[in-house]
Amino acid sequence: MLPVGDSAKLEIIFDTKTYKSKVSKKPKIQTNEGPPDKRVTITATITPRPDSTYPIRIVPYKVDLSQFSDKVIDKAEFVITNVSEEPLDISMIAFAQDYFSVELPDKVKPGETVSGIIKINDDYLAKSFNKSFTIELSDPQSSRFTVPIKRTIRTPGNQDRVKIIKKGK
Amino acid sequence: MKTLKQLFLILISVLVFAGIAASAPRLTIAESSFNFGFVPQHSKISHDFWLLSTGDDELKILKVVPG
Repeated sequence: MLPVGDSAKLEIIFDTKTYKSKVSKKPKIQTNEGPPDKRVTITATITPRPDSTYPIRIVPYKVDLSQFSDKVIDKAEFVITNVSEEPLDISMIAFAQDYFSVELPDKVKPGETVSGIIKINDDYLAKSFNKSFTIELSDPQSSRFTVPIKRTIRTPGNQDRVKIIKKGK
Repeated sequence: MKTLKQLFLILISVLVFAGIAASAPRLTIAESSFNFGFVPQHSKISHDFWLLSTGDDELKILKVVPG
């Protein structure tokens, strides 16, 4: 229920699976406004070879911040290499700001490698999630790249809790 | 006098009916499309869309159907 003038966030999660090339999805939102239902559209260019993209390469192309022990893993570094012959500006388009922050260089020269850092916000350190961030370049195509961010939490403390819950059942 | 009373009642009824007819929920999506660009295979990515209730009545989101 959304009172007049209020807003709500709708999160669309997309699993790229083994899709190839350009994919478009249009989830439908049914409301008491009646037909026609409204839609949102997401598009993505799924690449089976993320290690050979152009004009930049991002390493790692997927960031895994999973934690399987008591040792806290709350940040990760990634690098962006400009494999084109033109300087590129980098801008952040979207990221799950509730979950993490991203330090992103704003320029990368031809042949240069620059680094960025993802840091999980304290409120989400104890949670597992699958999120992502999207950047856009200043090349003529305004190319965009999305980096998936995955965090799975399985600490010894959590496993004990799972066992207790199972025993209780 | 009686006619005037009747006219007044009709006018009130019309205004109430018009008010009811005009009050309708309305969904506005601030940005209804998003381009992720290049994405690796076997990954889960996400994007948040903002849904706004811009009508004259409460908006109920009944269902989101994957497309």
